[in-house]
Amino acid sequence: MTDVATIDIIGAWVGIFLTMCILSFLYGDNPFYKLGEHLFIGVSIGYIVVVQFRNNFYVKFDRDLTWWDLAPAALVAMMFVKFASKQLVWLGRFPLAFVIALYAGQSITGLVGSDLGDQIKTASRSLVVHKIDLQTAGANELSNVPGVSPAIATKLAAERKDHPFESLDDALTRPSLTDSERADLADERGVLVGTDARATAAGGRNQIDWFGVASQVLLLIALLTGLLYFYFSIAHKGAIGRVSRVGVWILMIGFGASFGYTVQGRIALAIARAQDVRGKFMSPHDAAQIHGEVAAIVSAVIIIAGIWLFGRHEKRHRAGATPPAEAS
Amino acid sequence: MTDRVHWSDRLQRFDRRWIFLIMGLAIVVPLYLPIGFPIKPRPMTKAAFNAVEELKPNDVVLVSMDLDPASTAELEPYYRAVILQLKRKNVKLAFTTLWYQAPPLVERWLRETVDVPIAPAGTPGYVGAPDRAYVRNVDYVYLGFREGKQNIMLGMGADLHHVFDGKTDDGTPLDSIPWMKTSRSLGDFKLMVLVSAGSPGAKEYVQYVQNRYNLRMVAVTTAVSTTDLAPYYQSGQLLGIVAGLSGSAEYEVLVGKPSIGVEGADVLNAGHGVVIVAIVLGNLAYFAGRRRKRKAA
Repeated sequence: MTDVATIDIIGAWVGIFLTMCILSFLYGDNPFYKLGEHLFIGVSIGYIVVVQFRNNFYVKFDRDLTWWDLAPAALVAMMFVKFASKQLVWLGRFPLAFVIALYAGQSITGLVGSDLGDQIKTASRSLVVHKIDLQTAGANELSNVPGVSPAIATKLAAERKDHPFESLDDALTRPSLTDSERADLADERGVLVGTDARATAAGGRNQIDWFGVASQVLLLIALLTGLLYFYFSIAHKGAIGRVSRVGVWILMIGFGASFGYTVQGRIALAIARAQDVRGKFMSPHDAAQIHGEVAAIVSAVIIIAGIWLFGRHEKRHRAGATPPAEAS
Repeated sequence: MTDRVHWSDRLQRFDRRWIFLIMGLAIVVPLYLPIGFPIKPRPMTKAAFNAVEELKPNDVVLVSMDLDPASTAELEPYYRAVILQLKRKNVKLAFTTLWYQAPPLVERWLRETVDVPIAPAGTPGYVGAPDRAYVRNVDYVYLGFREGKQNIMLGMGADLHHVFDGKTDDGTPLDSIPWMKTSRSLGDFKLMVLVSAGSPGAKEYVQYVQNRYNLRMVAVTTAVSTTDLAPYYQSGQLLGIVAGLSGSAEYEVLVGKPSIGVEGADVLNAGHGVVIVAIVLGNLAYFAGRRRKRKAA
């Protein structure tokens, strides 16, 4: 095990100090937060310039150029013509038109296929959903069930070859399955045929998966009411108004889910910073040399003392600047 | 005589910095005193896992690392888990990124997870086959970063070698690597693993190339993007989605190596508890205050 280089230890401490600087904004705006913010913006811009030059400009000049390579350069030059001549300002519209047209063309073909075609196909699936038959389904069909891994599917196919399943409960007792695989399979009970020990797989073919049916019906209702809310060619009154009101509720549920995930994401950021302070993203050997927790405490003390001193200085400065008549 | 302030008013004027402090404690304390909430993988996480499990040795997989340092909290645990799973399957890996913020991160992660084994034999707490060190430009390639967002995706769909000027990031000709010689466009990859923090990322890959080339894709995404991507999972355009830190923790459990994701998910539950209590108290204060004002009027 090698020692962590001094420069890396300093880097880790600076990182922790800057984290505490940014977090100090939760107390209120202060010079430490401003320092962290300005450093972040400055470093980000410097980094962008270097990366773009290395990965995009340099690689282009590092190979044989063709006449086509001049086309982007010409478009860029046209953007800057306005600084040379006011009469030729109109030339700057061509690169913008080119970029907008390019993205519009790409987006139309892409979005029509993926966001319209495939989504319509999914939304227009049959409302009747059948359970998957453990006895006859192929390994591929079985592994399409979310909780059934290809390994489980292969084991089930091998097991039923020797001894056909009498029920799902029978399948769950087969020795080749591990405990975790058994638990995964049991979780998918609802979509598989043989929901109890009495219904044999063979006798239960074409059983309806009522949970699947309910999901499809719910999806259809949500889709139609949601679409109706955005249909403005008829007044949203009476029955139409009531149905579009359901659409609003569906949208609110969607936004609620997004909000919940957003909260999760923000808390995850805070967790990662705390884990970083504890050195969880590095080996225990390196973490023991960096002492992240000590760095966090030292940083917090410096920042709290600094904010207190700064506040006192501000107060004195304001008191000194107040005209004597007003002060009395 | 002083009027007693009603509890709902007091709660509404409550200094929010106390909530920040409570949240800070809710995050720090469980890191030192783990609660140990159970983690049960969701179907879409299992589906992502299963899609990788279906791979055969020497299949070629493209890993697109479209992320920045701010999203590592949610995506890094998944990345480490899926790379271990991919290496166990002994598949060939091609890495790329469409985010200018990513290259230093990707290069560091490649050094830490691909160039060396993640879980050699005897790793404590690990349930699964050991992985091995991958050799650069033999078992894996790093194609580097290209600016151009959706244009690069479309370019890779048509001619991946042309987009990267026929070279890996370190200048090795792609044609000199036998499996890359035959992997000339996205359609030649058995699976695409999208480590995606936003745009351009998993959503754009689905919109611009999945449908066009009928590609097999799984995605890990930041929690905030999950609801945007969920319809693509239901339609089968994405074979699986791993949603944020909680999804990453589930993936670690599936791979058999609980690590920073599982630890983070435990803390996440405590943080969620604080948010839920704050929401309930805030609503109680609001409705109680409104009722009191109505009564007074």
